[in-house]
Amino acid sequence: MIRTFLQLAGLFSALSLSAFGGGKVVLPSMHQAAVSEYAWMTDQQFVDLFSISMAAPGPSMMVVSLVGLKACLSYGFWFAILGAFIATVAMFVPSSILVFIAGKWWDSWEESPWRRSIQQAILPISTGLILAATWIIAKTSIHSIPTVIMAAVALALMLFTKINPVLMMGVAGAISWFFLR
Amino acid sequence: MGNQEAPNPKEPPALWELAALFAFIGVTSFGGGLTAYIRRLVVSQKRWLTDEEFLPGLGLVQLLPGANVVGLSVYIGNHLRGPIGSIVALTSMITPPFILVCCLGFLYFHAGTTTDTKALLAGVTAAACGLMASMVFEAGQKAIKGIFDVFLILLTFALVRVAHLHVPYVIMIVAPIAIWWHRPRTGKQKVESTGAEQ
Repeated sequence: MIRTFLQLAGLFSALSLSAFGGGKVVLPSMHQAAVSEYAWMTDQQFVDLFSISMAAPGPSMMVVSLVGLKACLSYGFWFAILGAFIATVAMFVPSSILVFIAGKWWDSWEESPWRRSIQQAILPISTGLILAATWIIAKTSIHSIPTVIMAAVALALMLFTKINPVLMMGVAGAISWFFLR
Repeated sequence: MGNQEAPNPKEPPALWELAALFAFIGVTSFGGGLTAYIRRLVVSQKRWLTDEEFLPGLGLVQLLPGANVVGLSVYIGNHLRGPIGSIVALTSMITPPFILVCCLGFLYFHAGTTTDTKALLAGVTAAACGLMASMVFEAGQKAIKGIFDVFLILLTFALVRVAHLHVPYVIMIVAPIAIWWHRPRTGKQKVESTGAEQ
């Protein structure tokens, strides 16, 4: 049990400091650790939990809490909550401390040409990582004609309209429940 | 703090006001366009910060790891009320969604896989997949300035999906190449002190 807590803390604090371009870029690592390396859950459960966290309001990376919850679920209710708490703190606190510390030097650094360089250099890396994350989700979630259609419609809606994603995912769930149950 | 600044002569907000606003942001926030949303609330509506104070913070959190919205809560909290403000803003933003997803998580594992939950989640996961794909397009649009950026995207993807490296290692490998490629330069020479565009 203590080992699981330490694994959660170690994994998510390392990912916290690697999440250049937002939390979703570390999703491939989270998946690899939770499903393959530590075997906390199945592939399907990971994708389900990720989708649940996306469909719920809040910062997009709340899947971290759910990974922590599932990792400790077999130890009982309170330990599951403690696991979720440890994972969440490990994910959000290190990057926040960095913002806090870096903020003190930011003024002197803001005008440096290297700032733009690094900013532009991060973009293709985060794009590649989000692509890898999408791949992982697609592999499990796209398995039939209806799911292909729903994903394509969701993509089109996100690209071409200003629909609220939480609303869109709720509607997708309702439609799917109505037709596929 | 902030007393001599002409455009913003007011007292900084009380801690509970800070907590209330960030709890509100926490439960109403989602995905893209969020920084614009926070700016509207904090700069335009509440007038706690001016654009001159807000925009450097945005530049900072975009460069550092972590979700922008989380970094902004720390930056804004610190700017208004110091370290305590940071802690208050961050915890009040994270706590309500945390409680919510934990409830949903227990519900998911308690309900198990029935035909109903399977059908419901099939739609939700498919939509999540479409949503993620849209983020690839949005990020790619900003990232691709030339053919080398496409190479960097594919290299990153291959290191994760084919070589199964963890994200921190992937960044350690690709970031030096990417920063070298996008280094500040004038003409063909590398000149560090000028702010010229490549």
